[in-house]
Amino acid sequence: MQAINDTSVQECDATGDAIKRYSRTHKKIFLLFIIICFTVIANAQYNITLTFKNTVGEKQLNTDSSYTNQSGETFTVRNFRYYISNITFTDSVDNRLQSYSDEYFLIDEKEEASKQVSLSTSLKHITGIEFLLGVDSIKNVSGVQAGSLDPARGMFWTWNSGYVMAKLEGNSPVANTPMHAFSYHIGGYKTNENAARKIRLSTFVITAALENISITADILKWFAGMHTIKIADIAFCHEPGKPAMQFADNYANMFSIEVVK
Amino acid sequence: MKLYTTIFFMLCLFISAVSWISFRSPKTHPIQFVVPKGWPQPVYDFKNNPVTEEGFQLGRKLFYDGRLSKDGNFACASCHQQFAAFATYDHNLSHGYNNSFTKRNAPPLFNLAWQREFMWDGGINHLDLQPLAPITDTNEMAESIDNVLKKIKADTAYKRMFTAAFGDATINTQRMTKALSQFLVMMVSSNSKYDRVKRSEDSFNLPQRLGYEIFQKKCVSCHTEPMFTDYSYRNAGLPVDDFLHDYGRMKITHNAADSLKFKVPSLRNAQQTFPYGHDGRFYSLMDVFNFYRKDIVQAPATDSLLRHGMPLSNFEIGQLTAFIYTLTDSSFLNDKRFAPPGYESRMPVPVKDIHKN
Repeated sequence: MQAINDTSVQECDATGDAIKRYSRTHKKIFLLFIIICFTVIANAQYNITLTFKNTVGEKQLNTDSSYTNQSGETFTVRNFRYYISNITFTDSVDNRLQSYSDEYFLIDEKEEASKQVSLSTSLKHITGIEFLLGVDSIKNVSGVQAGSLDPARGMFWTWNSGYVMAKLEGNSPVANTPMHAFSYHIGGYKTNENAARKIRLSTFVITAALENISITADILKWFAGMHTIKIADIAFCHEPGKPAMQFADNYANMFSIEVVK
Repeated sequence: MKLYTTIFFMLCLFISAVSWISFRSPKTHPIQFVVPKGWPQPVYDFKNNPVTEEGFQLGRKLFYDGRLSKDGNFACASCHQQFAAFATYDHNLSHGYNNSFTKRNAPPLFNLAWQREFMWDGGINHLDLQPLAPITDTNEMAESIDNVLKKIKADTAYKRMFTAAFGDATINTQRMTKALSQFLVMMVSSNSKYDRVKRSEDSFNLPQRLGYEIFQKKCVSCHTEPMFTDYSYRNAGLPVDDFLHDYGRMKITHNAADSLKFKVPSLRNAQQTFPYGHDGRFYSLMDVFNFYRKDIVQAPATDSLLRHGMPLSNFEIGQLTAFIYTLTDSSFLNDKRFAPPGYESRMPVPVKDIHKN
């Protein structure tokens, strides 16, 4: 009898345990569900589009138009391209960051599609954007890349390994060269010759509803700012070094955020 | 019931078809890169570009393909000839597109997996990048990368070979240069008489041994064993050529201290790689030795090791020459793996010896 009793008690215990375990499991599942829901809500992805607009001063860049720089030199632009990389969005409201470390974009005046950079983000209030104008040194020493960094894109020096960070080509009557052409291929990644520049733009707050950021690149800034550069003095810059660094110091200030809509 | 059986059967068929496709992973055959005994570890990143038989054969085809140049005449191999240890035999400056001369003497190609920088001035920082310079230079192959890719893409043999090497038919700059690197890194020259002596499989004769002793006293600080170069850039006191105006390393670093500095060349296979110097100004080893004992220009950037010249007697020159000839690696110069693709099948069939049987 005793033995049977014991067994029934044990059975009772076992059943109770099972019920407890069952409800515990349910609780766990429910909690997990809640967590997942929150994560999903918190990590809702928004598509942010950065639209690059190339201008000369206030005017929209047009390869048919003539412009005047701060030194009074008139010029036309035939070709304007630059790399944008290492983009980071900051959200100072939620104190978060989101980086796109392995995405490189070649913005090309001639290719409309290249001026739209779409990125997916989970940040809700973007308060700032950082990016590198150019290509970081690691990619400059890691052999042949594919995609926008493919040397076939014409933004790479094969005789002295390294990326051209930005390219500006055109004509100016003051350029002391055949056909009065000027040609600036600004590059270099080594110490004291690094032409990549960190750009920080951070004067606004955008929320999930505001998903299009327009960034203006002003070519006039190439000729004035930290250094005054005259086309009459420098019509060609095709290697790393001092003139390239001066252009880089100047173009570091060419970006601004124009409209957020 | 028949319907269910049919559905079940179709499902099985579908699953097996899908698994056949997804499990049909590209079958590449890895090639082991062997570091010769006593040599340092290579600097080339094999993890990023593992060598396979398929990649190697693709690189070999590219290396010997004239279509990499503008007019189809200049393959990599036209300036890098195997019998000259992949330098240009008997040419100071190689010939390029449209009757042009190149600006420098084509360096021999071997032991590239140990080399960190390329060209006489070290301007190129990765082996994968190296082919892009001669392909695009107007006085070498004079072609654009885009055009080369276009020509290659039009060839079905390449489509097949890229698929075999990389898993799909995508042809781009990165894959093309990686395949070339797979071919180039395998070019290891480590079986000269010198190497056999080091492995105790052979022994020097008297002039070779005496030459080795002189070499160790007078040359080894720049031509470091076992590569016979320390890969540094040095101003050896060469006067500048008044046509080429080539100041070497200074062009890359913009540093006056690097004026007229050029990479120390390896002495391996030197017997085959004449003429010597960055511009091929020395047609024989004798010319080189005569320069070192008589003509070194003492300028601010001249290497400190040559500050007091380099006295060499006729006797020493004879012994040194005997030693340098022991660095000739005939098995490398004749290695069929590095010969043009299909070379073996084009060889004449050996004539039967009529005296036997």
